[in-house]
Amino acid sequence: MKKLLTVAILAFLTVTLLVAGGTKESKGDQSLEKVVSKGVFVMGLDDSFPPMGYRDENNEIVGFDIDLAKEVTRRMGVTLKVQPIDWNAKEQELNTGNIDCIWNGFTITAERRKVINFSDPYVDNAQVAVVRNKTSYKTLADLAGKSIGLQAGSSAADAVANNTAFASSVKEVIEVKDNLTALMDLEIGGVEAVVLDLFVAIDNITRSGKDFRILDEHLAPEEYGVGFRKGDQALRDEVQKQLNAMAQDGTLAKISTIWFGEDITVVGK
Amino acid sequence: MGKLLLLMLEGTFTSLKIFFLTLLFSLPLGLIVAKGRMSKFRVVSSIVNGYIMIMRGTPLILQLIFVYFAPYYIFGASTDRFTAVIIAFVINYAAYFAEIYRGGIQSIPQGQIEASKVLGLSKFHTFTHIVMPQVVKTILPSMGNEVITLVKDTALAQTIGVAELFRVAQNAAARQFSTTPIFIAGLFYFIMNGVVSKSFDLIEKRLDYYK
Amino acid sequence: MSIIEVINLKKTFTSLEVLKGISFSLNEGEVLSIIGPSGSGKSTLLRCITNLERVESGTIIIGGDTLVETSREGKVLYADKETTSRIGQRLGLVFQNFNLFPHFSVLRNITEAPRHLFKYSKEEATELALSLLEKMGLADKAGAYPYQLSGGQQQRVSIARALALHPQVLCFDEPTSALDPELTGEILAVIKELANEQMTMVVVTTRWLSPATSLIG
Repeated sequence: MKKLLTVAILAFLTVTLLVAGGTKESKGDQSLEKVVSKGVFVMGLDDSFPPMGYRDENNEIVGFDIDLAKEVTRRMGVTLKVQPIDWNAKEQELNTGNIDCIWNGFTITAERRKVINFSDPYVDNAQVAVVRNKTSYKTLADLAGKSIGLQAGSSAADAVANNTAFASSVKEVIEVKDNLTALMDLEIGGVEAVVLDLFVAIDNITRSGKDFRILDEHLAPEEYGVGFRKGDQALRDEVQKQLNAMAQDGTLAKISTIWFGEDITVVGK
Repeated sequence: MGKLLLLMLEGTFTSLKIFFLTLLFSLPLGLIVAKGRMSKFRVVSSIVNGYIMIMRGTPLILQLIFVYFAPYYIFGASTDRFTAVIIAFVINYAAYFAEIYRGGIQSIPQGQIEASKVLGLSKFHTFTHIVMPQVVKTILPSMGNEVITLVKDTALAQTIGVAELFRVAQNAAARQFSTTPIFIAGLFYFIMNGVVSKSFDLIEKRLDYYK
Repeated sequence: MSIIEVINLKKTFTSLEVLKGISFSLNEGEVLSIIGPSGSGKSTLLRCITNLERVESGTIIIGGDTLVETSREGKVLYADKETTSRIGQRLGLVFQNFNLFPHFSVLRNITEAPRHLFKYSKEEATELALSLLEKMGLADKAGAYPYQLSGGQQQRVSIARALALHPQVLCFDEPTSALDPELTGEILAVIKELANEQMTMVVVTTRWLSPATSLIG
């Protein structure tokens, strides 16, 4: 039985490696030409990630990142296609060519850099802990021995895992499908804190009116970037060029003000 | 690789716990529900019918969320998440099992029950010794289907934060930027269901002594 | 003394009146043959006596105990559970479709009720069953399952099953109707033999000639 298992796993690995190997076998970097000739630029996102990208009352996908991508593609002369994906499968979506980039409050990490070609950071972010207002927690150390919640596969998960002191101090990390479920879990006392993106936390607390607050002590400072396939340098550079131009002519600041009331972008700064 | 397998075995253990606890409680509960559904008392049978319709008419994932979160909003108290998973799975599967039991019980010819009655056998004895053994043989194939579905449904437990096999696999996949853990999880489910269908084959063979 | 006493028995199915005031009495050692076309209510009568069907009005007394009686105001009164089960033990019923338990061996089909009702030990019940099977000419079939037997053999097993409870009256509900014509003879021979042993019986049948005449003869 054990032998059979090993053989079967090896078989799966071989298949996976072959598939992976196959995609890398391209002749030069045609990423930009492909997008231009198709006339479509596909951005992959989790459509439940306000305010970066989410569905409004009319079921239209809107958000800060969407507005940025719309302007970039308008300037590139191609159509933007917004493709909702399962955030857990984002790497597979990108590697199999279903999407051209991941653009959705996508945190740049050293680990992700190994397999993803990031743009320059365009927004500064942080991973923060949200707690119920009436609790007495003030610092991350106060959460020792408590359960904390977060969205599975999110950069909050990475931030907690990388902060070994914090990760080993808490009782357990409960991973759920999305931030909303994690925050509901916080409300009912299933967890004592939820770790998530600063922007998402602010947006959620203001819009839901729930009695939560954010701890002043942050887990990790972070930067958002647009993620491309490793080989797609030309496409990445083109998008970067447009973002730089938008920073110079004030378009980035304008879009940021619409969503956040101030300019939070960091391109060219 | 070894560490990954160890993690996945841990996840598998959680999945198996959900699987066995669900069967342990939902199989007998389903029988009670089936009896309620067939009750002569209209009030009982309509209430039970309503329960079955809700359980079969709404997604299990929604029931999971409801069982876990609703008690807080209604009573101000919350359940442990693993308990919530077991409750949701048990009440859901009991409804499906109940309908299978009902079909099986109704397929037993009335003559069997009448013969048992004129022989003076009690109602309870008739049910446990005459009706149920024959029901088990009749419903075995549909039960097999349902139990195989249960193995796969355990993956829904992650909705409310119980880290079962598929959650572990997805986390590993995200960590390694590789689909391999997902495929391994698939293999694990496949093996578990292999055991399930083999077991059902064996039971079917054992009950093959009569027609 | 009469074992079965039926007075003014009535039974209606939805709007069809099947039994329109039947009265009869059956003495010990007698064989009552009820012959008539299908749908004439013979089986219903038998089912009322064996308490598989509720009567609409009338009185049934079996072995001195009243199973059901009707008051002057027309209220139907059934005996309590204890009396009903005592009465039930006095009657055996052989069905048209045998109704053997398919998941039990021939032996267990016969031993199940005596073991449960009389608390016979396994050995006692087996001994009883084997002697009855011998009588039915099926001594070698004790370990077989019903599906392995012919219709005639199955019906003989079901007669043995009924006899195992030592009933005072054995009732037959069209015992040969489900059998191929060439197999009816073996059942009639059994009934005849039981008649010779002074077994009190009620035999319901649609066939005018065969069972009835051979019984009289």
